[in-house]
Amino acid sequence: MAGRPVACPAPKASIPVLGLELAGLSLFFKPDHAGIISIFKRRYGRFSGRGSRGYTFSVSAAAGRQTPFKPSVVLEGSRLELARGDFRAVLDMGRRSGELRAAPNEQCLDAFLRSLTSFFLNRAGGFMLHSAGLVKDGKAYIFLGKSGAGKSTLSKLAASRPGVELISDEINLLRREKGRWRVHGSPFWGEMRADGRPGSWPLGGILLMSKFPEHRIKPCTVPEALRLLLRCSVNFEAGPGTSERALSAAAALLAGAEFRRLYFSKKDNSFLELV
Amino acid sequence: MAYKIRKDLAYRRIAGEVYIVDAAKSEMRELNGPAALIWEGLAAGKKGEAIASAIAEEFETDAATARADLAAFTEELLAARLIEKL
Repeated sequence: MAGRPVACPAPKASIPVLGLELAGLSLFFKPDHAGIISIFKRRYGRFSGRGSRGYTFSVSAAAGRQTPFKPSVVLEGSRLELARGDFRAVLDMGRRSGELRAAPNEQCLDAFLRSLTSFFLNRAGGFMLHSAGLVKDGKAYIFLGKSGAGKSTLSKLAASRPGVELISDEINLLRREKGRWRVHGSPFWGEMRADGRPGSWPLGGILLMSKFPEHRIKPCTVPEALRLLLRCSVNFEAGPGTSERALSAAAALLAGAEFRRLYFSKKDNSFLELV
Repeated sequence: MAYKIRKDLAYRRIAGEVYIVDAAKSEMRELNGPAALIWEGLAAGKKGEAIASAIAEEFETDAATARADLAAFTEELLAARLIEKL
């Protein structure tokens, strides 16, 4: 005789943990609902990975507006707080775990990840640089330029050249590893495009961009290189410690990489032959 | 009169020049020659006489000129609010 049916709780769909690897930084996200993880996957899926000693965030969705637009990043003791109008993250650096409450959209998650990555790169003696980056003959070249300098134009021209791979047309990630500079794959692209791939390449050189009717390449001075390097360095954490680390990394980069000024025209991509 | 460098400034000698970053104002300044020497003297907590002596020795000038250069540049740094009176 069959017994009375027993009401069982419906099995709860498990939401997978997403791991990301960004410039040697391992991150794990444990979302409380599937929606936000699908955004992470769509935007950063190419950079998924599982490093051994990462930082884990429990993620929950929360409403919010982007204002104030510039994120604040504050480290007090071992407590790191990153916040903007539409996200707030608190990370215990010692325990390597924390919480992220964020609006479930790409712009918000991108701002959070940029803030976090720039924080760690600054502490690792590296850089998050507002720049275009490409790989040619196995080496990475970084093109520094202020807004309007032509990073997008240069990237489009370079992308049409066989054998050249774009790393990012907007944000590039540099680290010094075993005394040598490497450029890491970046998921941070202009116009919120999801592009790029993991990997790293030895730094071949850094070029300061100037628009000009024809292509030329010339040496540049230390002050002009340093000025543009710091201007293009992305840091959201305020304070002299951040500036000191950036200056120290800049000194190492100036000593360890070739800086030149590239005058380029948007007529064609033959400037790549000068690089 | 003794002076100290503002706490929130970052600075470093790179390729022979001293670069000062004022993150609050998003400004960078570069100092070379005697100016760099004066800055590093202030950073090391040296007294004015010691800094002037270092300038005189390094740039082969007389003590009076070195003291005058130091006084003039110190006034510039004060006006730019990069240093403060102790």
